[in-house]
Amino acid sequence: MARDYGFHFHTMHGQAYWDETAYYQFTLEQIERDLESPTEEIHQMCLHVVDVVSKSEEWLSKFAIPSDYWQAIADSWQAKEPSLYSRLDLVYDGKSPAKLLENNADTPTSLYESGFWQWLWLENNVDNNKLSKRADQFNSLQEKLVNRFKVIADYYGINYLHFACCKDTDEDRGTVQYLQDCAKEAGLIDYFVHIEDIGLGENGDLTDLQNQVISHCFKLYPWEFMQREEFGPHALKANTAWIEPIWKTILSNKALLPLLWQEFEGHPNLLPAFFESDVASMNALSDVKKWVKKPLYSREGANIDILENGKMSLSSSGPYGEEGFIYQAHTPLPKFANNYTLIGSWLVDDEAAGISVREDKSAITQDLSRYMPHIIL
Amino acid sequence: MQTNSKQKRSNNINLSKMRKAFSFKPLALGVASVLLSACSGGREEAVVFKSVDECVDALPGMAQKCETAYKGALAEAAKTAPKYNSRNDCEYEFGNNQCQTLNNNGNSIFMPLMAGYMIGNLLAPRPYYQPMFTSSSRYSSYRNNWVGADGRNFGDSRRNKLNVSSSAFDKKPAVTRTMSRGGFGSSVRAKASWGSRSSGKGWGG
Repeated sequence: MARDYGFHFHTMHGQAYWDETAYYQFTLEQIERDLESPTEEIHQMCLHVVDVVSKSEEWLSKFAIPSDYWQAIADSWQAKEPSLYSRLDLVYDGKSPAKLLENNADTPTSLYESGFWQWLWLENNVDNNKLSKRADQFNSLQEKLVNRFKVIADYYGINYLHFACCKDTDEDRGTVQYLQDCAKEAGLIDYFVHIEDIGLGENGDLTDLQNQVISHCFKLYPWEFMQREEFGPHALKANTAWIEPIWKTILSNKALLPLLWQEFEGHPNLLPAFFESDVASMNALSDVKKWVKKPLYSREGANIDILENGKMSLSSSGPYGEEGFIYQAHTPLPKFANNYTLIGSWLVDDEAAGISVREDKSAITQDLSRYMPHIIL
Repeated sequence: MQTNSKQKRSNNINLSKMRKAFSFKPLALGVASVLLSACSGGREEAVVFKSVDECVDALPGMAQKCETAYKGALAEAAKTAPKYNSRNDCEYEFGNNQCQTLNNNGNSIFMPLMAGYMIGNLLAPRPYYQPMFTSSSRYSSYRNNWVGADGRNFGDSRRNKLNVSSSAFDKKPAVTRTMSRGGFGSSVRAKASWGSRSSGKGWGG
Protein backbone atom coordinates (compact mmCIF):
# COMPACT_ATOMS: atom_id res chain seq x y z
CA MET A 1 0.00 0.00 0.00
CA ALA A 2 2.87 2.36 0.74
CA ARG A 3 3.81 2.64 -2.91
CA ASP A 4 0.28 3.57 -3.95
CA TYR A 5 0.79 6.78 -2.06
CA GLY A 6 4.28 7.40 -3.33
CA PHE A 7 5.91 6.30 -0.09
CA HIS A 8 9.31 5.39 -1.47
CA PHE A 9 11.60 5.78 1.48
CA HIS A 10 10.18 3.26 3.91
CA THR A 11 13.46 1.40 4.02
CA MET A 12 16.68 3.32 4.32
CA HIS A 13 20.18 1.97 4.78
CA GLY A 14 18.61 -1.49 4.47
CA GLN A 15 16.70 -1.09 7.73
CA ALA A 16 12.97 -0.72 8.04
CA TYR A 17 12.18 2.96 8.54
CA TRP A 18 8.49 2.38 9.03
CA ASP A 19 7.31 -0.35 11.34
CA GLU A 20 3.60 -1.09 11.34
CA THR A 21 3.73 -4.24 13.44
CA ALA A 22 4.01 -2.29 16.67
CA TYR A 23 2.71 0.99 18.03
CA TYR A 24 2.90 3.24 21.08
CA GLN A 25 -0.14 3.81 23.24
CA PHE A 26 -0.80 6.99 25.22
CA THR A 27 -3.62 8.15 27.46
CA LEU A 28 -5.46 11.33 26.58
CA GLU A 29 -4.08 12.93 29.73
CA GLN A 30 -0.49 12.10 28.73
CA ILE A 31 -1.07 13.66 25.33
CA GLU A 32 -2.80 16.81 26.50
CA ARG A 33 -0.94 17.51 29.74
CA ASP A 34 2.53 16.23 28.89
CA LEU A 35 2.88 16.86 25.17
CA GLU A 36 0.28 19.15 23.61
CA SER A 37 0.35 22.02 26.13
CA PRO A 38 4.12 21.93 26.72
CA THR A 39 4.69 21.98 22.95
CA GLU A 40 2.77 25.23 22.58
CA GLU A 41 4.39 26.67 25.69
CA ILE A 42 7.92 25.79 24.52
CA HIS A 43 7.11 27.34 21.16
CA GLN A 44 6.09 30.60 22.84
CA MET A 45 9.35 30.59 24.82
CA CYS A 46 11.23 30.05 21.58
CA LEU A 47 9.45 33.02 19.98
CA HIS A 48 10.54 35.10 22.95
CA VAL A 49 14.13 34.09 22.17
CA VAL A 50 13.63 35.13 18.53
CA ASP A 51 12.48 38.52 19.76
CA VAL A 52 15.53 38.91 22.01
CA VAL A 53 18.09 37.70 19.47
CA SER A 54 16.67 39.56 16.46
CA LYS A 55 17.17 42.86 18.32
CA SER A 56 20.69 42.20 19.60
CA GLU A 57 23.85 42.22 17.52
CA GLU A 58 25.67 40.51 20.35
CA TRP A 59 23.29 37.55 20.29
CA LEU A 60 23.16 37.40 16.50
CA SER A 61 26.92 37.04 16.38
CA LYS A 62 26.91 34.49 19.20
CA PHE A 63 24.44 32.50 17.10
CA ALA A 64 27.08 32.61 14.29
CA ILE A 65 24.62 34.24 11.89
CA PRO A 66 26.45 36.18 9.13
CA SER A 67 25.99 39.92 9.71
CA ASP A 68 24.70 40.50 6.17
CA TYR A 69 21.48 38.82 7.25
CA TRP A 70 20.85 40.53 10.59
CA GLN A 71 18.67 43.30 9.21
CA ALA A 72 16.62 40.88 7.10
CA ILE A 73 16.04 38.67 10.13
CA ALA A 74 14.93 41.63 12.25
CA ASP A 75 12.65 42.90 9.46
CA SER A 76 11.16 39.47 8.82
CA TRP A 77 10.42 39.05 12.52
CA GLN A 78 8.96 42.55 12.89
CA ALA A 79 6.76 41.97 9.83
CA LYS A 80 5.59 38.67 11.40
CA GLU A 81 6.26 36.81 8.16
CA PRO A 82 4.17 33.65 8.40
CA SER A 83 5.73 30.35 9.37
CA LEU A 84 4.37 27.00 8.21
CA TYR A 85 5.55 24.35 10.62
CA SER A 86 8.13 23.08 13.14
CA ARG A 87 8.96 19.90 14.98
CA LEU A 88 10.15 19.83 18.58
CA ASP A 89 12.13 16.75 19.57
CA LEU A 90 11.12 15.75 23.09
CA VAL A 91 12.36 13.16 25.55
CA TYR A 92 9.31 11.73 27.28
CA ASP A 93 9.03 8.59 29.39
CA GLY A 94 5.27 8.68 29.93
CA LYS A 95 5.52 10.02 33.51
CA SER A 96 7.95 12.92 33.92
CA PRO A 97 7.77 16.27 32.13
CA ALA A 98 8.87 16.07 28.52
CA LYS A 99 12.28 17.68 27.91
CA LEU A 100 13.14 19.68 24.83
CA LEU A 101 16.15 18.19 23.01
CA GLU A 102 16.00 20.50 20.03
CA ASN A 103 13.75 22.50 17.74
CA ASN A 104 13.63 21.61 14.04
CA ALA A 105 12.05 24.87 13.02
CA ASP A 106 13.51 25.43 9.58
CA THR A 107 13.56 22.13 7.68
CA PRO A 108 11.65 19.40 9.53
CA THR A 109 11.09 16.12 7.68
CA SER A 110 9.19 12.88 8.38
CA LEU A 111 6.05 14.91 7.91
CA TYR A 112 4.31 12.56 5.51
CA GLU A 113 4.73 9.61 7.83
CA SER A 114 3.19 11.60 10.66
CA GLY A 115 0.42 13.53 8.99
CA PHE A 116 -0.74 11.01 6.46
CA TRP A 117 0.64 7.53 6.82
CA GLN A 118 0.10 7.27 10.56
CA TRP A 119 -3.46 8.54 10.22
CA LEU A 120 -4.21 6.00 7.52
CA TRP A 121 -2.65 3.22 9.59
CA LEU A 122 -5.05 3.91 12.45
CA GLU A 123 -8.05 4.20 10.16
CA ASN A 124 -7.26 0.84 8.53
CA ASN A 125 -6.64 -0.93 11.81
CA VAL A 126 -9.86 0.35 13.31
CA ASP A 127 -11.80 -0.62 10.18
CA ASN A 128 -10.32 -4.13 10.32
CA ASN A 129 -11.17 -4.45 14.03
CA LYS A 130 -7.51 -4.78 14.93
CA LEU A 131 -7.80 -1.73 17.14
CA SER A 132 -10.61 -0.50 19.36
CA LYS A 133 -13.13 1.85 17.79
CA ARG A 134 -12.31 4.24 20.61
CA ALA A 135 -8.66 4.41 19.60
CA ASP A 136 -7.69 7.95 18.69
CA GLN A 137 -4.46 9.62 17.62
CA PHE A 138 -2.88 13.01 18.29
CA ASN A 139 -2.77 14.02 14.67
CA SER A 140 -4.44 16.97 12.98
CA LEU A 141 -1.29 17.72 11.04
CA GLN A 142 -2.49 17.45 7.46
CA GLU A 143 -5.71 19.34 8.13
CA LYS A 144 -3.78 22.14 9.82
CA LEU A 145 -1.15 22.28 7.06
CA VAL A 146 -3.83 22.70 4.40
CA ASN A 147 -5.50 25.46 6.41
CA ARG A 148 -2.18 27.15 7.04
CA PHE A 149 -1.41 27.20 3.32
CA LYS A 150 -4.72 29.02 2.82
CA VAL A 151 -3.73 31.62 5.41
CA ILE A 152 -0.28 32.07 3.85
CA ALA A 153 -1.83 32.40 0.36
CA ASP A 154 -4.13 35.14 1.68
CA TYR A 155 -1.31 36.88 3.51
CA TYR A 156 0.78 37.18 0.34
CA GLY A 157 -2.17 37.39 -2.07
CA ILE A 158 -0.85 34.50 -4.17
CA ASN A 159 -2.44 31.68 -6.11
CA TYR A 160 0.80 29.84 -6.82
CA LEU A 161 3.86 28.85 -4.84
CA HIS A 162 7.26 27.41 -5.70
CA PHE A 163 8.69 24.45 -3.80
CA ALA A 164 12.37 23.54 -3.63
CA CYS A 165 14.69 20.91 -2.19
CA CYS A 166 18.04 19.33 -3.06
CA LYS A 167 18.66 16.75 -5.74
CA ASP A 168 19.20 13.07 -4.96
CA THR A 169 17.29 13.02 -1.70
CA ASP A 170 14.23 10.79 -1.83
CA GLU A 171 13.28 11.72 1.69
CA ASP A 172 13.34 15.49 1.14
CA ARG A 173 11.59 15.17 -2.21
CA GLY A 174 8.91 13.04 -0.57
CA THR A 175 8.38 15.62 2.15
CA VAL A 176 8.17 18.45 -0.38
CA GLN A 177 5.81 16.49 -2.62
CA TYR A 178 3.56 15.96 0.36
CA LEU A 179 3.56 19.68 1.11
CA GLN A 180 2.83 20.40 -2.57
CA ASP A 181 -0.19 18.10 -2.27
CA CYS A 182 -1.34 19.97 0.84
CA ALA A 183 -0.87 23.31 -0.91
CA LYS A 184 -2.86 22.08 -3.91
CA GLU A 185 -5.65 21.07 -1.61
CA ALA A 186 -5.55 24.62 -0.26
CA GLY A 187 -6.15 25.85 -3.82
CA LEU A 188 -2.60 26.85 -4.73
CA ILE A 189 -0.84 26.03 -7.97
CA ASP A 190 2.53 24.41 -7.21
CA TYR A 191 5.81 24.65 -9.10
CA PHE A 192 8.88 22.64 -8.20
CA VAL A 193 12.56 23.44 -8.69
CA HIS A 194 15.68 21.77 -7.29
CA ILE A 195 17.78 24.06 -5.08
CA GLU A 196 20.82 23.51 -7.33
CA ASP A 197 18.84 24.55 -10.43
CA ILE A 198 17.65 27.90 -9.08
CA GLY A 199 18.80 30.64 -11.42
CA LEU A 200 19.56 34.31 -11.09
CA GLY A 201 17.52 36.33 -13.59
CA GLU A 202 17.88 39.75 -15.04
CA ASN A 203 16.85 42.37 -12.46
CA GLY A 204 18.10 40.05 -9.72
CA ASP A 205 15.07 37.79 -9.55
CA LEU A 206 15.48 34.12 -8.72
CA THR A 207 14.17 31.78 -11.42
CA ASP A 208 13.14 28.18 -11.93
CA LEU A 209 14.15 26.02 -14.90
CA GLN A 210 11.30 27.51 -16.99
CA ASN A 211 12.72 30.99 -16.26
CA GLN A 212 9.68 31.79 -14.18
CA VAL A 213 10.36 34.25 -11.39
CA ILE A 214 10.33 32.61 -7.97
CA SER A 215 8.34 35.19 -6.04
CA HIS A 216 7.24 32.95 -3.16
CA CYS A 217 9.00 29.75 -2.23
CA PHE A 218 8.81 26.92 0.26
CA LYS A 219 12.36 25.61 0.64
CA LEU A 220 13.36 22.43 2.42
CA TYR A 221 16.91 23.70 2.61
CA PRO A 222 18.55 25.20 5.69
CA TRP A 223 18.84 28.96 5.96
CA GLU A 224 22.34 28.56 7.40
CA PHE A 225 23.41 26.92 4.13
CA MET A 226 21.72 29.53 1.95
CA GLN A 227 23.31 32.35 3.92
CA ARG A 228 26.78 31.00 3.16
CA GLU A 229 26.26 30.37 -0.56
CA GLU A 230 26.78 32.48 -3.65
CA PHE A 231 23.08 33.24 -4.18
CA GLY A 232 22.47 33.93 -0.49
CA PRO A 233 22.47 37.72 -0.87
CA HIS A 234 20.06 37.36 -3.80
CA ALA A 235 17.67 35.40 -1.62
CA LEU A 236 17.10 38.76 0.07
CA LYS A 237 17.55 41.19 -2.82
CA ALA A 238 15.17 39.29 -5.08
CA ASN A 239 12.34 40.09 -2.68
CA THR A 240 11.37 36.44 -2.73
CA ALA A 241 9.10 35.57 0.17
CA TRP A 242 10.40 32.41 1.81
CA ILE A 243 8.68 29.72 3.79
CA GLU A 244 10.08 29.15 6.34
CA PRO A 245 10.78 32.86 6.82
CA ILE A 246 14.32 33.95 7.57
CA TRP A 247 13.62 34.69 11.25
CA LYS A 248 13.55 30.92 11.73
CA THR A 249 17.35 31.00 11.35
CA ILE A 250 17.36 31.77 15.06
CA LEU A 251 15.28 28.73 16.05
CA SER A 252 17.04 26.07 14.02
CA ASN A 253 20.28 26.96 15.75
CA LYS A 254 21.45 25.03 18.83
CA ALA A 255 22.39 28.34 20.48
CA LEU A 256 18.66 28.54 21.08
CA LEU A 257 19.08 25.98 23.88
CA PRO A 258 21.44 27.91 26.20
CA LEU A 259 19.49 31.12 25.64
CA LEU A 260 16.20 29.38 26.45
CA TRP A 261 17.81 28.14 29.66
CA GLN A 262 19.06 31.61 30.49
CA GLU A 263 15.64 33.18 29.94
CA PHE A 264 13.54 30.42 31.52
CA GLU A 265 15.96 28.67 33.88
CA GLY A 266 14.38 25.77 35.72
CA HIS A 267 11.39 25.40 33.41
CA PRO A 268 10.23 21.76 33.70
CA ASN A 269 10.40 21.18 29.93
CA LEU A 270 13.93 22.54 29.50
CA LEU A 271 17.33 20.94 30.06
CA PRO A 272 20.23 23.01 31.41
CA ALA A 273 22.30 24.22 28.48
CA PHE A 274 25.31 26.53 28.09
CA PHE A 275 27.60 28.00 25.49
CA GLU A 276 31.01 26.32 25.37
CA SER A 277 32.54 29.49 26.82
CA ASP A 278 30.47 29.12 29.96
CA VAL A 279 32.31 26.20 31.60
CA ALA A 280 31.97 27.79 35.04
CA SER A 281 28.18 27.52 34.96
CA MET A 282 28.39 23.89 33.87
CA ASN A 283 30.75 23.03 36.70
CA ALA A 284 28.46 24.80 39.16
CA LEU A 285 25.66 22.36 38.33
CA SER A 286 27.20 19.49 40.25
CA ASP A 287 24.19 17.20 39.90
CA VAL A 288 24.64 17.03 36.11
CA LYS A 289 27.25 14.36 35.47
CA LYS A 290 26.92 14.08 31.73
CA TRP A 291 26.85 16.79 29.09
CA VAL A 292 26.03 16.47 25.42
CA LYS A 293 28.15 18.57 23.09
CA LYS A 294 26.25 19.78 20.03
CA PRO A 295 27.45 21.91 17.11
CA LEU A 296 25.46 25.15 16.65
CA TYR A 297 24.43 23.90 13.23
CA SER A 298 23.68 20.21 12.98
CA ARG A 299 20.73 18.00 12.28
CA GLU A 300 19.55 14.50 13.05
CA GLY A 301 22.06 13.64 15.72
CA ALA A 302 25.13 14.31 13.57
CA ASN A 303 28.35 15.27 15.42
CA ILE A 304 26.88 14.87 18.87
CA ASP A 305 29.33 13.89 21.60
CA ILE A 306 28.53 12.83 25.11
CA LEU A 307 30.90 14.17 27.74
CA GLU A 308 31.03 12.09 30.90
CA ASN A 309 33.17 13.24 33.81
CA GLY A 310 35.24 15.22 31.35
CA LYS A 311 35.68 12.32 28.93
CA MET A 312 34.11 11.84 25.50
CA SER A 313 32.04 8.80 24.72
CA LEU A 314 29.64 7.61 22.03
CA SER A 315 30.42 10.14 19.37
CA SER A 316 28.32 10.20 16.21
CA SER A 317 30.13 11.22 13.07
CA GLY A 318 28.96 13.94 10.75
CA PRO A 319 30.00 16.96 8.77
CA TYR A 320 29.13 19.70 11.26
CA GLY A 321 30.82 21.80 13.89
CA GLU A 322 32.79 24.59 12.27
CA GLU A 323 30.56 27.30 13.79
CA GLY A 324 31.04 26.30 17.42
CA PHE A 325 29.31 24.21 20.07
CA ILE A 326 26.91 24.28 22.97
CA TYR A 327 26.52 21.88 25.90
CA GLN A 328 23.20 20.45 27.01
CA ALA A 329 22.63 18.36 30.14
CA HIS A 330 22.35 14.74 29.14
CA THR A 331 19.02 13.08 29.68
CA PRO A 332 18.70 9.42 28.75
CA LEU A 333 16.13 8.49 26.10
CA PRO A 334 13.54 6.18 27.64
CA LYS A 335 13.99 2.57 26.67
CA PHE A 336 11.04 0.39 25.74
CA ALA A 337 11.70 -3.23 24.69
CA ASN A 338 15.37 -2.54 23.91
CA ASN A 339 14.63 0.52 21.81
CA TYR A 340 15.34 4.15 22.66
CA THR A 341 12.37 6.39 21.97
CA LEU A 342 12.14 10.01 20.84
CA ILE A 343 8.95 12.05 20.39
CA GLY A 344 8.63 14.49 17.51
CA SER A 345 5.97 17.02 18.41
CA TRP A 346 4.59 19.02 15.49
CA LEU A 347 3.48 22.60 15.35
CA VAL A 348 1.68 24.24 12.47
CA ASP A 349 2.33 27.93 13.01
CA ASP A 350 1.89 28.13 16.79
CA GLU A 351 -0.59 25.29 17.29
CA ALA A 352 0.39 21.80 18.43
CA ALA A 353 -0.70 19.48 15.63
CA GLY A 354 0.31 15.96 16.58
CA ILE A 355 3.22 13.70 17.39
CA SER A 356 5.40 11.12 15.76
CA VAL A 357 7.40 8.49 17.60
CA ARG A 358 10.79 7.29 16.44
CA GLU A 359 12.97 4.65 17.94
CA ASP A 360 16.50 3.44 17.55
CA LYS A 361 18.81 0.79 18.93
CA SER A 362 21.37 3.48 19.76
CA ALA A 363 21.05 6.22 22.39
CA ILE A 364 21.70 8.94 19.83
CA THR A 365 18.83 9.14 17.41
CA GLN A 366 20.12 8.99 13.87
CA ASP A 367 18.23 9.64 10.71
CA LEU A 368 17.68 5.96 10.06
CA SER A 369 15.57 5.67 13.19
CA ARG A 370 12.43 3.63 12.83
CA TYR A 371 9.18 5.50 12.64
CA MET A 372 6.36 4.14 14.84
CA PRO A 373 2.63 4.94 14.82
CA HIS A 374 0.80 5.75 18.05
CA ILE A 375 -2.72 5.60 19.44
CA ILE A 376 -4.57 7.26 22.28
CA LEU A 377 -6.71 4.88 24.33
CA MET B 1 -15.90 7.56 26.63
CA GLN B 2 -14.42 10.14 24.32
CA THR B 3 -16.68 12.71 22.80
CA ASN B 4 -16.17 13.90 19.29
CA SER B 5 -15.14 17.38 20.34
CA LYS B 6 -12.30 15.80 22.31
CA GLN B 7 -11.00 13.87 19.34
CA LYS B 8 -7.32 14.52 18.83
CA ARG B 9 -7.10 13.58 15.20
CA SER B 10 -8.68 15.03 12.09
CA ASN B 11 -12.01 13.46 11.23
CA ASN B 12 -11.14 13.14 7.64
CA ILE B 13 -8.24 13.86 5.36
CA ASN B 14 -8.33 13.90 1.60
CA LEU B 15 -6.83 10.56 0.63
CA SER B 16 -7.31 10.85 -3.11
CA LYS B 17 -5.24 14.03 -3.30
CA MET B 18 -2.31 12.25 -1.68
CA ARG B 19 -2.49 9.19 -3.88
CA LYS B 20 -0.01 9.52 -6.71
CA ALA B 21 -1.60 9.57 -10.13
CA PHE B 22 0.53 6.81 -11.58
CA SER B 23 -0.63 4.23 -9.09
CA PHE B 24 -4.42 4.59 -9.25
CA LYS B 25 -6.35 1.42 -8.84
CA PRO B 26 -9.66 1.14 -10.74
CA LEU B 27 -11.91 1.45 -7.69
CA ALA B 28 -10.00 4.43 -6.35
CA LEU B 29 -10.18 6.06 -9.77
CA GLY B 30 -13.96 6.11 -9.59
CA VAL B 31 -13.90 7.75 -6.19
CA ALA B 32 -11.17 10.17 -7.10
CA SER B 33 -12.77 11.38 -10.31
CA VAL B 34 -15.91 12.40 -8.45
CA LEU B 35 -13.84 14.40 -5.99
CA LEU B 36 -11.71 15.91 -8.70
CA SER B 37 -14.60 17.13 -10.79
CA ALA B 38 -16.18 18.57 -7.70
CA CYS B 39 -13.22 20.74 -6.85
CA SER B 40 -11.43 21.45 -10.10
CA GLY B 41 -13.91 24.17 -11.07
CA GLY B 42 -14.95 22.70 -14.40
CA ARG B 43 -14.73 24.38 -17.79
CA GLU B 44 -16.00 27.63 -19.12
CA GLU B 45 -16.54 29.60 -22.31
CA ALA B 46 -13.88 32.09 -23.28
CA VAL B 47 -13.55 34.38 -26.28
CA VAL B 48 -10.35 35.49 -28.00
CA PHE B 49 -10.20 38.92 -29.63
CA LYS B 50 -7.40 40.11 -31.88
CA SER B 51 -7.99 43.78 -31.05
CA VAL B 52 -10.08 46.11 -28.90
CA ASP B 53 -12.21 46.96 -31.98
CA GLU B 54 -12.98 43.32 -32.61
CA CYS B 55 -14.05 43.02 -28.97
CA VAL B 56 -16.29 46.13 -29.09
CA ASP B 57 -17.88 44.97 -32.36
CA ALA B 58 -18.76 41.65 -30.82
CA LEU B 59 -19.85 43.06 -27.49
CA PRO B 60 -21.49 46.44 -28.00
CA GLY B 61 -21.89 48.29 -24.73
CA MET B 62 -18.88 46.61 -23.18
CA ALA B 63 -16.23 48.90 -24.62
CA GLN B 64 -14.90 49.73 -21.18
CA LYS B 65 -14.38 46.06 -20.34
CA CYS B 66 -12.78 45.41 -23.72
CA GLU B 67 -10.30 48.22 -23.16
CA THR B 68 -9.46 47.25 -19.58
CA ALA B 69 -8.93 43.61 -20.48
CA TYR B 70 -6.74 44.52 -23.45
CA LYS B 71 -4.47 46.75 -21.36
CA GLY B 72 -4.33 44.18 -18.60
CA ALA B 73 -3.44 41.44 -21.07
CA LEU B 74 -0.67 43.56 -22.60
CA ALA B 75 0.86 44.17 -19.19
CA GLU B 76 0.54 40.50 -18.34
CA ALA B 77 2.19 39.58 -21.65
CA ALA B 78 5.23 41.70 -20.83
CA LYS B 79 5.54 39.87 -17.54
CA THR B 80 4.69 36.28 -18.37
CA ALA B 81 5.39 35.74 -22.08
CA PRO B 82 8.30 33.43 -22.93
CA LYS B 83 11.57 35.39 -23.22
CA TYR B 84 14.48 34.66 -25.55
CA ASN B 85 18.11 35.71 -25.75
CA SER B 86 18.00 36.28 -29.51
CA ARG B 87 15.46 37.36 -32.06
CA ASN B 88 16.30 34.17 -33.98
CA ASP B 89 15.27 31.89 -31.14
CA CYS B 90 12.03 33.78 -30.68
CA GLU B 91 11.19 33.80 -34.39
CA TYR B 92 12.04 30.13 -34.72
CA GLU B 93 9.16 29.44 -32.35
CA PHE B 94 6.72 32.20 -33.33
CA GLY B 95 7.60 33.10 -36.93
CA ASN B 96 9.13 36.02 -38.82
CA ASN B 97 8.23 39.47 -37.52
CA GLN B 98 6.27 37.94 -34.67
CA CYS B 99 8.70 39.06 -31.98
CA GLN B 100 9.44 42.33 -30.21
CA THR B 101 12.46 43.61 -28.35
CA LEU B 102 12.33 44.39 -24.66
CA ASN B 103 15.06 46.60 -23.30
CA ASN B 104 16.15 45.61 -19.89
CA ASN B 105 19.09 47.39 -18.23
CA GLY B 106 20.69 47.93 -21.61
CA ASN B 107 20.29 44.29 -22.59
CA SER B 108 17.83 43.22 -25.24
CA ILE B 109 15.55 40.26 -24.78
CA PHE B 110 12.89 39.07 -27.15
CA MET B 111 9.31 37.96 -26.68
CA PRO B 112 6.42 37.20 -29.03
CA LEU B 113 3.92 39.93 -29.88
CA MET B 114 0.56 39.55 -28.26
CA ALA B 115 -1.68 38.20 -31.00
CA GLY B 116 -4.93 38.46 -29.09
CA TYR B 117 -6.43 38.36 -25.66
CA MET B 118 -8.74 35.84 -24.15
CA ILE B 119 -11.64 37.01 -21.98
CA GLY B 120 -13.64 34.78 -19.70
CA ASN B 121 -16.59 35.34 -17.38
CA LEU B 122 -17.76 38.25 -19.56
CA LEU B 123 -20.79 39.14 -17.52
CA ALA B 124 -18.89 39.56 -14.27
CA PRO B 125 -17.93 43.08 -13.18
CA ARG B 126 -14.28 42.19 -13.68
CA PRO B 127 -13.88 39.59 -16.41
CA TYR B 128 -10.75 37.42 -16.47
CA TYR B 129 -8.27 37.89 -19.25
CA GLN B 130 -5.01 36.36 -20.52
CA PRO B 131 -2.67 37.35 -23.35
CA MET B 132 -2.65 34.96 -26.31
CA PHE B 133 0.08 34.31 -28.84
CA THR B 134 0.21 32.46 -32.10
CA SER B 135 2.90 31.14 -34.39
CA SER B 136 3.43 31.31 -38.12
CA SER B 137 6.64 29.31 -37.93
CA ARG B 138 6.63 26.01 -39.74
CA TYR B 139 9.13 24.70 -37.17
CA SER B 140 6.71 25.19 -34.32
CA SER B 141 4.07 22.88 -32.91
CA TYR B 142 2.09 26.05 -32.16
CA ARG B 143 1.76 26.95 -35.85
CA ASN B 144 -1.67 28.53 -36.49
CA ASN B 145 -2.77 27.74 -32.94
CA TRP B 146 -3.57 29.93 -29.96
CA VAL B 147 -0.95 29.58 -27.26
CA GLY B 148 -0.91 30.95 -23.71
CA ALA B 149 2.06 32.57 -21.99
CA ASP B 150 2.92 29.31 -20.28
CA GLY B 151 2.96 27.36 -23.56
CA ARG B 152 -0.51 25.91 -23.20
CA ASN B 153 -1.93 25.15 -26.66
CA PHE B 154 -5.56 26.28 -27.09
CA GLY B 155 -5.98 24.89 -30.59
CA ASP B 156 -6.80 26.37 -34.01
CA SER B 157 -6.32 30.13 -34.10
CA ARG B 158 -9.15 30.58 -36.63
CA ARG B 159 -11.58 29.82 -33.82
CA ASN B 160 -12.31 32.60 -31.37
CA LYS B 161 -14.70 30.82 -29.01
CA LEU B 162 -12.83 28.47 -26.73
CA ASN B 163 -13.94 26.04 -24.10
CA VAL B 164 -11.23 26.23 -21.47
CA SER B 165 -10.72 24.96 -17.96
CA SER B 166 -11.04 27.79 -15.49
CA SER B 167 -7.39 27.32 -14.53
CA ALA B 168 -6.52 28.87 -17.92
CA PHE B 169 -7.13 32.23 -16.25
CA ASP B 170 -4.99 31.61 -13.17
CA LYS B 171 -2.37 34.23 -12.49
CA LYS B 172 1.02 33.01 -13.68
CA PRO B 173 4.54 33.76 -12.47
CA ALA B 174 6.51 36.39 -14.37
CA VAL B 175 9.13 35.08 -16.79
CA THR B 176 12.59 36.56 -17.18
CA ARG B 177 15.98 35.67 -18.61
CA THR B 178 18.23 33.62 -16.34
CA MET B 179 21.83 34.81 -16.25
CA SER B 180 23.38 32.03 -14.14
CA ARG B 181 22.47 28.96 -12.14
CA GLY B 182 24.00 26.87 -9.41
CA GLY B 183 24.40 29.55 -6.71
CA PHE B 184 22.63 27.39 -4.16
CA GLY B 185 23.63 23.90 -3.10
CA SER B 186 27.37 24.26 -2.52
CA SER B 187 27.05 23.50 1.21
CA VAL B 188 25.50 20.16 0.34
CA ARG B 189 28.28 19.35 -2.10
CA ALA B 190 30.89 20.26 0.51
CA LYS B 191 29.27 18.28 3.30
CA ALA B 192 28.40 15.32 1.11
CA SER B 193 32.09 14.83 0.41
CA TRP B 194 32.59 14.45 4.12
CA GLY B 195 31.88 10.77 4.02
CA SER B 196 29.11 8.86 5.65
CA ARG B 197 26.18 10.44 3.87
CA SER B 198 24.46 7.92 1.70
CA SER B 199 22.20 8.91 -1.14
CA GLY B 200 18.51 9.22 -0.46
CA LYS B 201 18.94 10.95 2.88
CA GLY B 202 18.03 14.60 2.82
CA TRP B 203 19.13 17.76 4.57
CA GLY B 204 16.00 18.25 6.56
CA GLY B 205 15.98 17.31 10.22
